[in-house]
Amino acid sequence: MNYVIALFLGAFFGFSLNKAGLTKYNKIVNQFRFTDMAVLKFMMTALVVAMIGLYGLRGLGLIAFPSVPNTYIVGNLVGGLIFGVGMALTGY
Amino acid sequence: MNWIIKQISKETWSPYVAGILLGIVGILAVLLSNSLLGASGAFENIAGMIGKAVAPKAFDILYFNFVMPPGISWSVILLIGVFFGGMIGAATSKTLKWGRKDAANSDVQWKSIFGPQTWKRWVLGFVGAIILEYAAGIAGGCTSGLAISGGMLLVPAAFLFIAGMFASGIVTAWIIYRNRY
Repeated sequence: MNYVIALFLGAFFGFSLNKAGLTKYNKIVNQFRFTDMAVLKFMMTALVVAMIGLYGLRGLGLIAFPSVPNTYIVGNLVGGLIFGVGMALTGY
Repeated sequence: MNWIIKQISKETWSPYVAGILLGIVGILAVLLSNSLLGASGAFENIAGMIGKAVAPKAFDILYFNFVMPPGISWSVILLIGVFFGGMIGAATSKTLKWGRKDAANSDVQWKSIFGPQTWKRWVLGFVGAIILEYAAGIAGGCTSGLAISGGMLLVPAAFLFIAGMFASGIVTAWIIYRNRY
């Protein structure tokens, strides 16, 4: 059952990425050149919607947060720095 | 009804609308499965499975035993869904290039910078993907698993990652492009 949910959610995830145009090389790389802001608009909208929903649901006691990604300041930052190189190269 | 069909068959939506859809998917993932969206972890799960089968000694390390245990995890199934969801999205707007000659390299901007050869795109994609996955392993997630999923839970790691990602992404894009295109 859990796997069926995963498949469905994944499909909507992929669908939204495709419709936002983030499956295209030029959208990703143009974000880093600031000629097309679609990536940031998309990411930040998703963040805000999910934040409101998740914190609201937790406030109502309907959900508990799953184990959150750990914070290692150097690891996250260095990982991010290397990641950006790959992202600008491939347009992933 | 016609309006809905017309909207779905559009090639690109406003990023705000698509973002709202992803936000709802993110909420549902926690609500229904108590999981976070993520893509890079699934590749590591699969790589761990292959590694354990081919070279069990080399893969008998802390990382593949505890940090990223191999197996068909929730995120592997999610990734399969993402693949088909993306295809459905492309099919609805008739931009799916299945079996077409220009399928592997049809991006005008890419061609004008790197040249028209398809093999170049494959090589660059492969090298870039190694960099991406290695970095995701260090940071503990990728754009979806850390930046978006972590960000919506207000985890500091996510914002550190986004900062790093943009800093080096801007520099890399500038080095490649300078003032071209």
